[in-house]
Amino acid sequence: MEEPTYKRRSWAQQPSKWISGYLFAGPAIILIVIFSLVAIAFSLYVSFFDYDIISPNRPFIGLSNYKEALFRDKLFLKSFKNTALYVIGVVPGITITAFLLALAGHKVRWGRDAFRTIYFLPSITPAVAMALVWVWLYSPKGMINQALSMIGVQGPNWLMNTRWAMPSVIVMSVWMSVGYYTVIYLAGMADIPNEFYDAARVDGANAWQEIRHVTMPLLRNVTSFVTVTLGIFAFQVFTQVYIMTKGGPGDATVTLQLLIFRNGFQYFRMGYAAAISWLLFIVIFVLALIQLRGYRSQQLF
Amino acid sequence: MTQIITDVTAPVSAVTPTEKTRRKISVRTILIYALMILIAITMLFPYYWMAISSVKGPRGFTADPYSLIPRTFSLESLQYVWGAGHIGLYLKNSLIYASIVLVVQTMVNALAAYAFARIEFPGRDILFLAVLATLMLPYSVLLIPTYLIVWKVGLANTMAGVVIPGFASAYGIFMLRQFFLNIPMELEDAARIDGCSRMRIFFQIILPLAKPALITLGLFTFIGVWSDFTWPLVVLSDSTKYPITVGLSLYRDQQVLYYDRTFAASMYATFPLIIIFLIGQKYIIGGISLTGLKG
Repeated sequence: MEEPTYKRRSWAQQPSKWISGYLFAGPAIILIVIFSLVAIAFSLYVSFFDYDIISPNRPFIGLSNYKEALFRDKLFLKSFKNTALYVIGVVPGITITAFLLALAGHKVRWGRDAFRTIYFLPSITPAVAMALVWVWLYSPKGMINQALSMIGVQGPNWLMNTRWAMPSVIVMSVWMSVGYYTVIYLAGMADIPNEFYDAARVDGANAWQEIRHVTMPLLRNVTSFVTVTLGIFAFQVFTQVYIMTKGGPGDATVTLQLLIFRNGFQYFRMGYAAAISWLLFIVIFVLALIQLRGYRSQQLF
Repeated sequence: MTQIITDVTAPVSAVTPTEKTRRKISVRTILIYALMILIAITMLFPYYWMAISSVKGPRGFTADPYSLIPRTFSLESLQYVWGAGHIGLYLKNSLIYASIVLVVQTMVNALAAYAFARIEFPGRDILFLAVLATLMLPYSVLLIPTYLIVWKVGLANTMAGVVIPGFASAYGIFMLRQFFLNIPMELEDAARIDGCSRMRIFFQIILPLAKPALITLGLFTFIGVWSDFTWPLVVLSDSTKYPITVGLSLYRDQQVLYYDRTFAASMYATFPLIIIFLIGQKYIIGGISLTGLKG
């Protein structure tokens, strides 16, 4: 971060001048303090109570909410596994697809912008609408099964099948977000100077070697940004699951965020929901740290 | 994989090396195009499907739900969901929410970003760090307490409750501050010598210069609020206040028999954003490219 004009503020030393700083920043600071800092503290507080918004009786119960989630609530473990499965599917799925699409897009001259626009489209249209369309595509006689029947494969009832429901949600999510990350990779590739490729060619590198030894290492920072951001979002998946499967069939697609929603807003167990959200927060935080550390230790230059 | 280097030591044959290279490249280019077009079709197909299903009409859809080229054309489904399906009302609500948040958040963010970039006041750096730190808090962990705060001050199930938590954005403040730091100080100094007040400098010099950044962030804000589902879902219980996303989700449960209506309603939720995207594409793509590189 460069701040060239940082030291040139002699006019700002009198109190009458810095009051305006508080006036300008005040509204934002008040809002952020309330809805982020107070909120996060309040969430931790609530997680130690049997906090029900219907009854006024809210006893302190210490760590019971956490113990319930970790040791008694089978659905917590199930939804943790489901969420992990989703993350394991979506993060590499999107990262690899976006990288390959950007590689292809970077190579073509004609129509690059048009392709980029088309790939990006699902990222800016509401997930609810897209999930509704996919419900129909995944229906027993939907387009996907019709396409499969053309090659002689009898497709399952995707969203109502315990084995296929989560993979179906993953595929839809990859479709929905891959364009966003393709745009990020394209911007990264545009920043690699041509000299690097020229040098590789002089050394006799083929196309694969160019990708492996020039493009990939130079995009390490972009990849680390993409996987960390994606991981954070993927752990909080909600809308697609809520619309497409409501957690079913059975509990095959209940995710942690859906469990938080159910406990907080359907059973009104705010304390328990807050405790689950803190466990989710810890998992996200630790994994992001490990990832960033991993990338840093691999840094080449 | 084909090789693109020209092998100068190769024996001269009927096909000269350069011609050979050019032909190989073109084969590969064709393959790349084929792949990209295939994926583009995959990306667009759900939209095409949604569009044709919404104009087949209820009877046309029931009689022939799977054809890729509609045999009937009727605006009945689109008209039905607009009025009797309340989509007109939901759209109006979405427009209100997204516009209010857009205007207020842009103002709040810009004022704060200017203060953090250009005004020296006690505690400024600590406060800015605190703002940045909130970027690490996941949405999940804020959902329950944000609802409880809104509920405690009596704003649950109100339109104000939907918009107020979105009135400031740490991300927006951070991006705008970066932008303001790059505006030359001389511009401001000249105005100050002429006796301009801070407010005037902010509104007449800084804001006009920051227009591209403000448009980019404004587009993100509008699209974000329009597409948001979780927050309005939890904070509202009165369906007359629902935005389009929550209103649309009702179609999943209630109208299983009327898929044409679901598609028609989805069209209304999707199209305004597609138009905004096509118009503001330059800013949106540019903004995202920047995010990735800064990260």
